[in-house]
This record gives sequence, C-alpha cells and structure tokens, in this order.
Amino acid sequence: MDNSGTALQVAGISKTYASVRAVRDISFEVGYGEIFGLLGPNGAGKTTTIRMILDIIRPDSGRVEILGGPMNQNKKSRIGYLPEERGLYEDMTLIDTLVYLGQLKGLSRKTAVERAEAYLRTVELWEAHDRKIEALSRGMTQKAQFVAAVMHDPDLIIIDEPFSGLDPINTRVIKQLLYSMRERGAAIIMSTHQMHQVEEMCERILLIDRGQRVLYGKLDEIRTEFAGNAVEIELRGDPGQIPGVERIISRNGGYRMMLAEETRPDQLLKSLVERPDLTVERFERVHMALDEIFVKVVGRAIETEAQPV
Amino acid sequence: MKKIWLIAKTTYRHRVRSGSFLMLTFGIPLLMVIAGAIPFFLLRPSDESPDLGYVDQTGALAQVESVTTEDGISLSMTQFPDREAAQAAYQRDAIQGYLVVPAGYLEGENVTYYAKNEPDDSIEIALEIFLRKAVAPDQPDWVYARLEDPASLTYVASESGEQVSEGIGLVLRFAAPAIMGILFGLAVMFTSTQMGSTVVREKEQRAMEMVITALEPFELVAGKVVGVVLLSFTQLFIWGAGAFIGIYLAVSGQFDLLGLSIPWETIGWGLLLTIPGYFLFAVIAAGLGVIAGDKQGAQQLAGFLGFAGLFPLWFVGLIISDPNGLLAVGLTLFPLTAPIFALFRMTLIEVPLWQLLAAEGLLIGSLVVGVWFVARIFRAAMLIYGKSLNLVQIWNALRQAG
Repeated sequence: MDNSGTALQVAGISKTYASVRAVRDISFEVGYGEIFGLLGPNGAGKTTTIRMILDIIRPDSGRVEILGGPMNQNKKSRIGYLPEERGLYEDMTLIDTLVYLGQLKGLSRKTAVERAEAYLRTVELWEAHDRKIEALSRGMTQKAQFVAAVMHDPDLIIIDEPFSGLDPINTRVIKQLLYSMRERGAAIIMSTHQMHQVEEMCERILLIDRGQRVLYGKLDEIRTEFAGNAVEIELRGDPGQIPGVERIISRNGGYRMMLAEETRPDQLLKSLVERPDLTVERFERVHMALDEIFVKVVGRAIETEAQPV
Repeated sequence: MKKIWLIAKTTYRHRVRSGSFLMLTFGIPLLMVIAGAIPFFLLRPSDESPDLGYVDQTGALAQVESVTTEDGISLSMTQFPDREAAQAAYQRDAIQGYLVVPAGYLEGENVTYYAKNEPDDSIEIALEIFLRKAVAPDQPDWVYARLEDPASLTYVASESGEQVSEGIGLVLRFAAPAIMGILFGLAVMFTSTQMGSTVVREKEQRAMEMVITALEPFELVAGKVVGVVLLSFTQLFIWGAGAFIGIYLAVSGQFDLLGLSIPWETIGWGLLLTIPGYFLFAVIAAGLGVIAGDKQGAQQLAGFLGFAGLFPLWFVGLIISDPNGLLAVGLTLFPLTAPIFALFRMTLIEVPLWQLLAAEGLLIGSLVVGVWFVARIFRAAMLIYGKSLNLVQIWNALRQAG
C-alpha cells in the first residue's frame, strides 16, 4: 500500500432530514497511515457523516472521494467499519459469524477461517469461538465486532467508540492492533468521546457540532492554540520577575508562566538557562486538555444525552 | 452473484437447523405417515379363524367351499342350515363370522354379516367373490374376473383429444392443478412468515449497518429471498414425500399409483407460472418485512400476504361458471392471481397460449420491478431500528437516486 497520499477526501457534504440539517458543508481529509479523530457531542452529525462516507446514505450536496475516487463495489472490500449500532447474529456461533462477514468482505472461506482464528487468538477470544454470540459478554461481543470490522485488513477503517465496554487490558490490546494497522499504512478514522484516547492516538482531529465543522487540524496545534502563550516549568531557584512574562502561577511544585504576546517560549528558555541562580529541570509548552477544548468549543458538557441523528 | 449465494447459503443453513423449522417440517409428514399407516395396519389379515360361515335362505345358491382373493388370502366357507347353527359355531370360535343370505336376495334384498368386528377389505372382497360363485357356479375364472370389474372406461377430451383413463387417473387430471394451487398457497403462506421474520431479524440484530458496507442492498435482499425460498422448497419436498408415503400406504393394493398417467402439460405450465409467482410473493414478503418495524408487525403483514396467496381459491366458482369470461381472463393475467387461476382454467378449457405467455411475461416483469422496489426501500429502512416505514419515507426512498 502507498502510505503517502489521501485515503479519504470529503468536500462540502451536507445532509438534511425533513427540516433538520444534520450535516452542513463538512470538508476534511484523512491520509494513509494516520489515525484521525472524528469528534463531536451526541447528535452532532458524526454518524451521518460516516454513513455518507460509506455510501450508506447519499449526501444532498458535496463529494466524497474514497481510496482514490468515488465509492464502488470493489472498494467496499477495502473498508472496515465498526458502527455505533452494535450487533451481530445472536444465534450464530462466533466463528461462523466472523467467517460469514469475512467472506462478505471478499475473503475466501479458507482465508476467512484462518484470519478469524488468528484475530480471535490475538484478542483472547479463541476459547469462545464456538459459542453463540448471545452467550458472549458485552466486552467479548465488542472485541468480536472489532475483529469483524478489521479481519480483512482494510485500507480504510472507520471505528465508532472502539473502546466502549472494554477493560484496560482489552483496551490496550485493541489499541495495539490499531497501531499495527496504522503502521502497515491503513487510514483510521476513530470516533469517540474518550478524549484521553484521542490525545494519545490521533495526530489530527475534526470536531463537529450541530452538523458543522468547528475544529479541524493537527491536535498539537489545536491544543497549543487553545492554551494560549504559556509554558510549564520546573526549576531549582526562585525565578522572581522575568521580562516578557505577564504572570507566574505556582502549581504542583512548578510554575505556569503566561507569556506576553511578543515573547516566544524559546526566548524565555534561553533567558532562564542563562541565569546562574536557576537550574531548569523541565520546560514544556502548555497544551490545553482536549476535553477542556471540547467543552469550551461545544459550549455544553459532553455527557449531554444523545439524540440520534 | 457470489455474495447473493453466500447470503442464501448462510440464511438456509442457519434456519434449517432451527428447532421450529425441524419440528414443523418433520412433525407434519410424520403425522401424515402415521395417519396413512393406521388403516394400513388395521387392514392386515387378522389372526382370527380363517373360516367363514353362511346361511342360504334362498335355497338357490350353489355350494362354495372356499374362496381365494387376488391377494392370495384363502377363506374356507362352511354352510349352516340356519342362523342358530351358524351362531353356535361362531360362539365356539369355529368361524370368525357368518353371512346370512335372505330369501329375497335374488330380488335385491341385502345380505347380513354377523361378526365381532366390521369386516375389513379382504373379508368384503372374499364375500363378494363367494356370492358371485354361489349365484353363477361352474363358470371359468375369467368370467368371475371380468364380472369383478366389468368396464374400465377411457375418456377422450373432445377439444384436445387427450385421453384419460377412468379411476384415479381421471381424478388426478382434475386434482393435479388443484393440488398445485393449494401447494402454491401453502408455500406462499410459509414463505411469507419466514421471509418477514428473516428480514426483521436482520434489522433487529443490528448487524445490518456492518453487512451493508460489504454489498449492495439488492444483493442482501436477493440472497435472503433465495435462502428462504430454498428453505420453503426443502419443507415442501419433505411434506410432499410424507404425503406421498402416507397416501401410498393408505391406498396401497387399491391403485397402481406408480403406473398413473401424469398430466405433464398442466404440470409444466403450472411450474412455469407458480415458480415466478412464488418468487414474486417472496419478494413482496421481503418488502413487507423491510417496512415492518418489528417481528410482530412482520407477522401481521405476512399473515395478510399468506391470505392473499390463497384467496384466489375462494373464487374458483367464478371460473367454473364462466371460464372464458372477462374476470377469469383478467385474473389469469394479473400476476398475483395468475398461477392459481391459470391452473384451474386449464382443468376446464384449453387456455389460449397467448394468455399463458402473457401471464408468464407479466409475472417475470412484476418480479423484476418487485426486487427493484424492495432494494430501494431496504436502503431507507435498514437504519431505522424498531420502527416501521411510513408512506412518505417509502416514497422518498423510491425517489432517491439508486
């Protein structure tokens, strides 16, 4: 797979249901070898956006280019999707379900059986392979559905809340699988409300609210932008008054320094290092936590109950 | 095509193993076989004394000492001078029963048979042979054989020149379309229920969104329809085999079932019309399953559709009274009633070829439109969980670009 280039290009898509404008003029791109965060409060239009990308519903306007062009039947086999609406065939066995879904995604029966076994062993579900889905716990079903979404090694993976219902160990297993898929060049779009996971895993994000794009870009830049011109420092010695620093807040054994608009962090670092009475032990540009940004931008708590789009 | 077959195979394999299917499929033919086997075993020769007695009150009958039926059952016949003597022998278990031939027998009076049990077929046949021999003794065997079945008629249909032999062959000629019609109706009923629940299940288990990213809605609908149709065929085949064995056991020895002349032309047209007609109903059932929000709704709609499959049978009287009338021709051409109406008319008249071909064409055309229609609304309905589609949503789904 070519790890450079764009796996998905969404240009100005909109969708209206009756009188509700679910999505308005959304544009973004996702590259190969990238984990991209698709964020937004419940009912913001994320699922509608995903469904338009996957050609499950058609946009009223705008364009989606997926894996190098418009969606077609062959490309469906190169896409993996873990939807928000979870469900597998409850009265089928786990292995039969996975083999069936794998074959629908274009795998031969033999390959589907091999892949299903390999993935089930990886996520520690092999012991349950001949159990019916209805007999699996919530966490097991979640892992099974994840396997169903990725077992055909897709080039584009869209996963909605991949960690819900998982304990920390299983979360780590799924995370490692996602990293390995990114390493082999897959483009991954992850929709989640777990902001710490986004901070850890995603390079870029799109935040949607009320169907509109409100934030889009590199996560670091967004976090820095929202933090303002500030640094966090740990040092030995009393910094006292420092030119170019408007305010110093002492916290957790260190200091948060709010810089004047014209002061660059590297200038401050240089001046601190040059002072013989001080030893700099840690110097870090302040990033605002993503959940704070989320609340700030969306303007309401993320726990707000969902209204399905 | 590969995916359609995969879905069909998975649907079939999954449903064919379900407890409800196995119970329904094997329970009914088992009952049929048991129902057929009961008379079969009841008719076996009993272990009672093979001897029979008779009292000749006419004084005109020849003495007959034994009779042998075609099945090789041999019974000795003991003559008694009066009823009291016969009754005494019966009470000693010397005979299993006795026949009293009254004085007015030759003028038409009925004979009376005294025994513990009602005579079975072999006793009845033996008594008839006895009476033929006693009334007309000393005749060669072929005379008795001829008298046993004095005439086998062959009817020749004046219009078509088709020859049909008397007996079960004639019955079959007229019964075959009716049997096919009833089987068609039953198949429609069964399929409607299965189809609706299969589609609703797909929605209820919420796997739809995942599956649909792998294929086109048309492929999913077509796969489900083929799977359920194969399931229905399996069930009908097992029922048919059960019915055949049951009937064979019940009437074995009376008819040569395997030697019957089959009305192939009627059956051929029947298949040509019922198969697309059946698929059409299956597709409509899938559509109703898509529209229904839950299992209960799907079952109600399936019940309605099953009734629609059988309802032409209620109007058979109209065809009999005027098989070439406008209504009969119209309902022969209308896709949902074509299979049954065409079949019944074929038993009465020679249905013009153009009508049969037109009915076939309209059926296939409706089937194509039906699949297109269902695939369209399927796309709209699959993401609406637990709710039925309203007319506006259906209309919007049909208008949306494919």
